[in-house]
Amino acid sequence: MLERDEREVVLGDLIEAGEGTWRAMLAVLGLILRREAQVWKFWRPWIAAVGLSVPCSFLLMGASLSVSRGLQNIYVSSHASWTSVVPQALLLAGWSWTGGFAVGSVSRRTLWVSAVSCLVPCIFCLSRFRVESISPACLLLFLAPAVWGASDGVRIGRIKRVSAIPLALAVTLLTFPTLHIHGEPWWNPPRWLIALTLTWPAWYLAAMSTKTPQEPDTRHWETR
Amino acid sequence: MLGEFEYLIVTSAAGLGDKAYGAAIREAIVVATGRNCSIGALYTTIERLEAKGLLTSRMGEATPQRGGRSKRMVRVTGAGVRAAKEFYDAVTRISRGAAWAAD
Repeated sequence: MLERDEREVVLGDLIEAGEGTWRAMLAVLGLILRREAQVWKFWRPWIAAVGLSVPCSFLLMGASLSVSRGLQNIYVSSHASWTSVVPQALLLAGWSWTGGFAVGSVSRRTLWVSAVSCLVPCIFCLSRFRVESISPACLLLFLAPAVWGASDGVRIGRIKRVSAIPLALAVTLLTFPTLHIHGEPWWNPPRWLIALTLTWPAWYLAAMSTKTPQEPDTRHWETR
Repeated sequence: MLGEFEYLIVTSAAGLGDKAYGAAIREAIVVATGRNCSIGALYTTIERLEAKGLLTSRMGEATPQRGGRSKRMVRVTGAGVRAAKEFYDAVTRISRGAAWAAD
């Protein structure tokens, strides 16, 4: 849980001070806890865990259910067509990937907390899911692209402008047809609010891609 | 202005000069204050002081006393010296007239 250089230094200090095993373990644990606590003094982990993971996982489960119902309608009845489901599925993938990417890139060190923040609503909804015709697993359609996005977010940090802006535009354009489902007007506040909540990570990535890249962090111990 | 523990670290590091590293600073603080100094508090504070530009640190050489492990060498910057002086002056000024300061 400590970086390689830090581990080297701390173990050396403990050996030099002649600390016993238990005291050394407590010292290392204390350092890890302090370091983890320090990260939470900044806004990034809060945005990732509370501002993104929790609301997006709730809303993406709703979108997953909507896509699953669309697919079910295609197989069960002839009322639905692929033309309505494919944009929804693409939008779900886009929302999930960009949301995951934003979570991963906003706060890499607290990704595990963001993951727990995403899983808690999932467990809550799965435990209360009572639709017999659809498997509860359908709620989790968003998880695979979201995990993929989070992994890319941690690894890459930011995407290039040539990819980020078309991606944000595509997600936004795909949002409009879904706002008109069942003839509801696009200004219907809840649907509009849901779309905005799920679309802003794509625009956040686009905005980040236009910023000048910073110098790499040359400090031994990354705090981000 | 510096905090009390920050002042202890900056002053210990300045006193140790080229030999300032984690374990030596920790030892100096324990001897001077008679209080325990946890490694967690030490390194998180050193990191904070580095972020404020009051200290710089680099990886140093490994010694047999440390099981062949490297040291983290610490150096006080000009801003660190000024901040420590400011803290010292403030404590000296506020202590004037205090019963314990007359000794």
